[in-house]
Amino acid sequence: MATAEVPHVSRSRATSASLRLSFLMFMADPQWLIPSMIAPVVFGLVAFELFRGAGPYFLTYAILGAGMMSMWGQTLYGSGWAIGQDREFGTLEPTVQSPTPYVYVVLGRVLWNVISGLIGGAIVYLVVLGAAGSPPPLPDPVGFVVLFVFVMLTLASVGILFSAAWVYTRYSGFIQNVGEFAFYVGTGCMFPVVLLPFWTNPVALFFPPTWALDALRYLSIPGYVGFGWGFWPDIAGAIISTAIYIGIAGSVFRRVELNVLAKGDLGDF
Amino acid sequence: MTDSPAIEVTGITRIFESRKGFLFRERTRTEALRGVDLAVEAGAIFGLLGPNGAGKTTLVKILSTLLLPTSGVARVLGHDVVEDTAWLRPRIGLVLGGERGLYNRINARDNLRYFADLYGIPRAEREARIDEVLARVDLVAAADRRVEEFSRGMKQKLHIARGILHRPQVLFLDEPTIGLDPKSARETRKLVRSLVADGVTILLTTHYMFEAEELCPEIAVLSKGRIVARDTVAGLRQLVGGDRTLEAEAYGFEDRELTAIRKLPGVSKVFSEEYGPRTRLTLRLRSAETVPGDIAAMLPGHPELSVRERQTSLEDVYLDLVEEEAH
Repeated sequence: MATAEVPHVSRSRATSASLRLSFLMFMADPQWLIPSMIAPVVFGLVAFELFRGAGPYFLTYAILGAGMMSMWGQTLYGSGWAIGQDREFGTLEPTVQSPTPYVYVVLGRVLWNVISGLIGGAIVYLVVLGAAGSPPPLPDPVGFVVLFVFVMLTLASVGILFSAAWVYTRYSGFIQNVGEFAFYVGTGCMFPVVLLPFWTNPVALFFPPTWALDALRYLSIPGYVGFGWGFWPDIAGAIISTAIYIGIAGSVFRRVELNVLAKGDLGDF
Repeated sequence: MTDSPAIEVTGITRIFESRKGFLFRERTRTEALRGVDLAVEAGAIFGLLGPNGAGKTTLVKILSTLLLPTSGVARVLGHDVVEDTAWLRPRIGLVLGGERGLYNRINARDNLRYFADLYGIPRAEREARIDEVLARVDLVAAADRRVEEFSRGMKQKLHIARGILHRPQVLFLDEPTIGLDPKSARETRKLVRSLVADGVTILLTTHYMFEAEELCPEIAVLSKGRIVARDTVAGLRQLVGGDRTLEAEAYGFEDRELTAIRKLPGVSKVFSEEYGPRTRLTLRLRSAETVPGDIAAMLPGHPELSVRERQTSLEDVYLDLVEEEAH
C-alpha cells in the first residue's frame, strides 16, 4: 500500500455521504418509526379534532398545525440529536478529524431530517384527508407545496445552529429539551403566534419559522390576518432571518470546532 | 522520504481544566503533558510507552489535530498541527480503537464508504480501496455484517481499516492491539510492519513491552506528562543500569548483605521487593564481572536462596523509569 496522492474533498459529496449515512441509520433503527411514522398519525387525528368546527378552513389549520408539529421534531430536534448520536457513538472524533469541514456533515444530517419531516407532513395530510373525507380547500396548491418545503428549510436553519450546540457541549440535550416546547409554541407551529400574549411576538420574530409559517397561513387561508403586514413581508422576513441563521452557523462551526479542540471533550458523552 | 522529521514536537504542554459542582463550581487543573520534545524520522516506527494517564493519548490527539496544545509547537510532515489542519488531515491517519468510534448499526463496508467519501477517495477507486483494506485486516467475510455483531477484535480491525483507508503518510496508532486475541494481535503487528515497509511513518502507543520491543527500533517512555527516556531498546537497557539482570530470592536479606551486594563489580542498581514471606533482589549489571555464583557465595546463610540471570527486558526498563519518575 503506497501512500496516496491527496484527493480533492468534494463538499457536496461529503454532504451526500452524510445524508446517506443518516438514511442507513434510520433504516437500521426501528425506534425512528415512532417519530417519523406513528407520531404524524396521532398529531393529525388530534389536530383534526382540535380544529373541527373552526370555520371553513379548519382542515388547513389542522394540516398545518399537525404537520408542523411532526416536522418540528424531525427537522429541528432531529438535527441536533444526530450530532448527539455522533458523540454517543464516539464517531464525532474521527469525523471531525477527516478533511471535510464538519458543517457539511451536519448539512447532510439536516437534509435527511428535512426529507424525513416532509414524509411526516405527507402522512399528516393523508390522515386529515382520511378523517375529513375530502381534501382541504387550497387556493394555491402549488404555492402551498413550495412554501411548505421552504418552511422546512427555515426549520433546518435553526436545526444547524442546534447542531453546533451539540458539537460544542455534551449537555446541549438539556437545553434542547427545556427549549423544545417553548420554541414550538413561540414559532407558531400549532396555532398563530398572534394568539399568544403580545410580548411573545417580538421574541418569536427572531426565529425564521415564525415568518415562514405566517406566510404559509396567508397563502392557504383566505382572510387570515396574522401579524398584519401581509404575505410578502413575511417571505422577506423568512428569507433574511434564514440567511442570517445560516451565515451565523457557517462562522460559528469553525469557532465551535476550535473551542472543542481546546476543551478536548469531543469523545465525551 | 525527506531529511526533516515526519513528526516534530517541541515543548508541548497540555492542561485540562474541568469544573465540578452546580452552584459552587470547583475548578480542577490537570497537566497531561509537561514540555514534551520528540522527533520521529520519516518512514520510521516509533514507540511511545507509558502507564495509564501518562499522556500518550493526549499527545496522539494533539498530533492528529483533534486537540489543541496549551503551549509548544508540534509539526507533522513539516506542518503545524494547529495552523495547518486542512493540509494535514488528508495526510494523516488515526486509530484510537476501542468499542466506540464506529457506526454499530450499519455494516463494516458502509462505515468505510462513509469515511471514504469524507476523505474524498475517488469514486472509481472507492470500492476497490475498501476491499483492499478489508483484506489487509482480514474482515472480507464480515464486510456486510452489522458492526454491532462484531467482536472487540473485529471492531479493532475495522478501526485500523478506517485509519489506513486513505493511505496516510503518517499513522497514529493508539494501543492498536488492546483487546485482541494473540492471533489477531500478531496479525496486526504484521500489518503494522507492512505499513512501515510501504513508507508510512508510524507513532505507536502501547502497554505491551514485547510489542514495542518487536516493532519499534526507537522508543520513548512517557510518565506523568514527561518523556523520561528515549532511545533504542539496547540504549534504554543501559540507561537503567545494564542489559543483564540477576534475580535473587530468599526469606529476607540483612542490610549488611544488601550493602555488600551493591558493592559487587558491575552492579549498577539493586531493587528489593517483598513477595509474601520471600524477598526478591533485582540487580542490574553493566558488565559480566558478577555471576550468579558470586551472589550465592556472598549469602551462605540462605539455604533457600535461588539466583537466576536473564537479559534486562523492556518491561524492566519501563518499570524502572516509571518508578524513578514516581519518586
